[in-house]
Amino acid sequence: MGDKSEVWQGTLALMVLKTLESMGPQHGYGIARRIEQISGDQLSLNYGTLYPALLKLEQEGFITSEWGLSENNRRARFYRLTRTGRAQLKKEAREWEQATNILARFLSPEEQG
Amino acid sequence: MKTIRAFMARFGGLFNGRRRDWEMEQEFASHLAMQVEDNIRSGMNPEEARRVALIKAGGLSSARENYREQRGLPFFETLLQDLRYGARNLRKSPGFTAVAVITLALGIGANTAIFSIINAVLLRPLPYKDQDRLVQLWETEAAPGTYPFAGPDYLDWEKQTKTLAATSVYTWPMGVNASNSGEAQSLVLIQAETNLFSVLGVDPIVGRTFAPDESQPGKDHVVVLTYAVWQKFFGGRQDVIGQKLELDAEPYSVIGIMPRWFKFSRGEVFVPKDMSAKGMHERGSHWLLAIGRLKPEQTVTSAQAELSTIAKNLEHQYPDSNDKIGATVVSLKEQYTGDNRQELFILLGAVALVLLVACANVANLLLARATGRLREIALRAVLGASRWRIVRQLLTESILLSITGAVVGLGAAWWFVSLVQNAKTLPIPRANPIQVDVTVLLFTVLVSVFVGVLFGLAPALQASNLDLGEELKSTAQAVLSPSGWNRWFRDGLVVGEIAVSLTLLAAAGLLLRSFYNLRNAPTGFEGSHVVTFSTLLPQGKYDDLTSRRRFFDRLLEGIHSMPGVDIAAIASELPLEGGTNGYIKVDGDTDPAHRQMLVEQNYVTPDYFATLGIPFFSGSNFSPADMDREGAAEQKVEELYKQNPNLKSVPAELSSIAIINRVMAKTFWPNQDPVGKTYRNGGRTFRIIGVVGDVTVGSVRGEPMPEAYYPYTRALVGPIAFGHLLIKTHNDPTAILPSARAQLRTLDSSLALFNPRTMPEVVADSMQDETLQTWLLGSFAGLTLLLAAVGLYSVLSYLVLQRSREIGIRMALGAQRTDVLRMVMRQAGTLTALGIGLGLFGALSGARVIQSMCFGLTARDPLTFAGVVVLLAGVSLLASYVPVRRAMRVDPMVALRYE
Repeated sequence: MGDKSEVWQGTLALMVLKTLESMGPQHGYGIARRIEQISGDQLSLNYGTLYPALLKLEQEGFITSEWGLSENNRRARFYRLTRTGRAQLKKEAREWEQATNILARFLSPEEQG
Repeated sequence: MKTIRAFMARFGGLFNGRRRDWEMEQEFASHLAMQVEDNIRSGMNPEEARRVALIKAGGLSSARENYREQRGLPFFETLLQDLRYGARNLRKSPGFTAVAVITLALGIGANTAIFSIINAVLLRPLPYKDQDRLVQLWETEAAPGTYPFAGPDYLDWEKQTKTLAATSVYTWPMGVNASNSGEAQSLVLIQAETNLFSVLGVDPIVGRTFAPDESQPGKDHVVVLTYAVWQKFFGGRQDVIGQKLELDAEPYSVIGIMPRWFKFSRGEVFVPKDMSAKGMHERGSHWLLAIGRLKPEQTVTSAQAELSTIAKNLEHQYPDSNDKIGATVVSLKEQYTGDNRQELFILLGAVALVLLVACANVANLLLARATGRLREIALRAVLGASRWRIVRQLLTESILLSITGAVVGLGAAWWFVSLVQNAKTLPIPRANPIQVDVTVLLFTVLVSVFVGVLFGLAPALQASNLDLGEELKSTAQAVLSPSGWNRWFRDGLVVGEIAVSLTLLAAAGLLLRSFYNLRNAPTGFEGSHVVTFSTLLPQGKYDDLTSRRRFFDRLLEGIHSMPGVDIAAIASELPLEGGTNGYIKVDGDTDPAHRQMLVEQNYVTPDYFATLGIPFFSGSNFSPADMDREGAAEQKVEELYKQNPNLKSVPAELSSIAIINRVMAKTFWPNQDPVGKTYRNGGRTFRIIGVVGDVTVGSVRGEPMPEAYYPYTRALVGPIAFGHLLIKTHNDPTAILPSARAQLRTLDSSLALFNPRTMPEVVADSMQDETLQTWLLGSFAGLTLLLAAVGLYSVLSYLVLQRSREIGIRMALGAQRTDVLRMVMRQAGTLTALGIGLGLFGALSGARVIQSMCFGLTARDPLTFAGVVVLLAGVSLLASYVPVRRAMRVDPMVALRYE
């Protein structure tokens, strides 16, 4: 476990938004599983990281939640992307792309030489 | 947008915490359950599955904490938590809390009360429309000061001004007999140009104000009432419009009611002013007041410049009446506040000092308490509280304390303000009501938070700055011995308190002695058994000298025959209440200073001098024959003026006689006997028949002024027949008033008895300002003295407690009780001496601030300062008494076992 990276808040928010966009309404466990799977189990989300992040997104109005039943008939809270959340996702994804592009160019071997 | 939304959501998160916690637990539980199910599905046994899921979940309690923090606003939550904790703490030590809250309530309450006055008088704009464009207009004369208007001058100004959009003229407030069926009562009437209310920009709450044509005779019997008169005479009925109110026996129709807050120049009823040439009187007679409204782009300075030019032109045009008559424009706000600004700020400074001393005391208490709480604080620090967190907790507690004090103090301030509101006369000119409004409340809140930080910060910082290990290990004894810094700080506070209270005591002492001097300053009359009231004859009923004289003669006769009456008189002016005045000309006198010397005029019956015990120095009194002759002569003069308004001088056979005072004699006829000499005033020639003692006309503070007395019968000719009755009795002078009132009613039931007072009350009325100031400053000083004594007491008690072990050892080693006494007294003496020294330095260097309020002594009066030092030293001795006794009673065995 110790070798799995900690996720920081800003990135996590983006991952949550993207997950909800591609999967539709999903509960906390589902979101966590999905993010961990896509990261190839390089990331591990504990409650203390995941749930405050979900709450923050909800407070900012990017997602909403309601109680419902899971596939196994278990009561769970389902999160859903809102319209502003969708817009936010687009905006943040673009910004992230730009940032990684710049960093990638920066770190490429030609630049170093 | 995003942040606001998030804030609102988090603010909402502050509430309903239990339900939200439950939801969080549910969500965590379902997460865990799903994880366990998945783990089982992937082949783990249930126990293993659960263990792995729990590890994956991470520290659950810290997850809960993170979640809660994100849910609400941690700042507020901590605050609420601190408040709850603080409140519990304060409840646990009710004694400390009560002392601190009362101390703070006194300080904050006094500040709130004084600030509510300052707010109404200085800070709030006048409650008139565009009040910054309103100005008061005055004329100036050869003598310094501002003077009322002469009617024709006003009309010229009004016609010619281009800087003022509008002007309005009105009379001084005057008495009037008012009744609407029932007994006549006295009211204060103002005659005003019909546009007065529109110039002020105030609308009535019921009805209307004057129409422009209502100044014309026949239409002018309409009246606008203040709210209070509406309530008093008509019970606040809405159908008051069109009802009749009798003013001086003539019926007036009520046309409008002014708002409750409306106050203007003491007026209670307003009627239209006769603006005709006759109604405005001649040019030399200055008796009217005027306000104006500046045009938008004009300033007080530009209006001043323009009106000075207009006045200059009038001076050229009418050299006889307008010589040296100039103009002054003052903003109305300035007019209302000008005189009181400094006094109010001195009072505010004084209450601020009271508050400062209160803070020092509470800080002192907190320091003592914080020392006792060191172990609790150390424990919290060990459990992970940061220093800032501890300071914050302690500050929250002290602010809670100050807010509680403020709430109690507000109650006190409310009481004070209602007292001020109900005071019949208050020597504070104001258009705004004095009240606890939003501004005042805001002020109180700010002050209490500021004060809470002020007295809480030092104890909090000191308490949080501790060595954890040491504190937890230490014994109670060690905990009780504070750092040197703490000692210094607390001693410093007490020294400061003593210094501040000395300053305030000195100020209060100076005012008290000034007040005493004022009360005992010679007024030139002896009035201890004299009672006075005024009466006013309606013009319509008493329209000539004969009827008026008959009335006053019968009134005097009736009063004379009442049992207990010594002697009685009538005068047109009372001592100490100001008066009318004019300039005189003495033939052959070329001294220019004399031409600028105002001479007061008083019309009296012969017994006036005996009634008030005014001595004759030479010559003789008016005789009954003089009274008859003078009245008749004045009537002839009046007729002559009616025939020829521009009459320059009156024939010699109609000349008058006068009795003058000593100042007038010495000023105009130095080193001569003025009896038999003559002077001229307003076309008439006066021959002096006697010289009497000086009586104070205006304020006791001023120098005596020249004054001339004329036979009262002369005053009965003319538009107003008004008189002050003065009655000297053998016994209690007020006992005579009911029968005097009955006497008045038998003569004429439509007349009210105005302003009944004893002469000592007249004297007191002339010193209302000083009374209020002395009273307020005196109570502030008394308060600080008490607080300083409590402060010294607590520091010394603490010292004795701290050192009881040392004292015990010393006594066990053979020290005498006197040695212990000396030790504690040395401490008390040092603190007191330092405080007194510092206070003396401060008070002496700030003395000139109140020089103008002093009378009969300088602001560095040695006697006052000596007295204050002795008083303070005595009080601090008293404050040390209990701690000293406690120190001397220390039982060595007990003290040594204190461990």
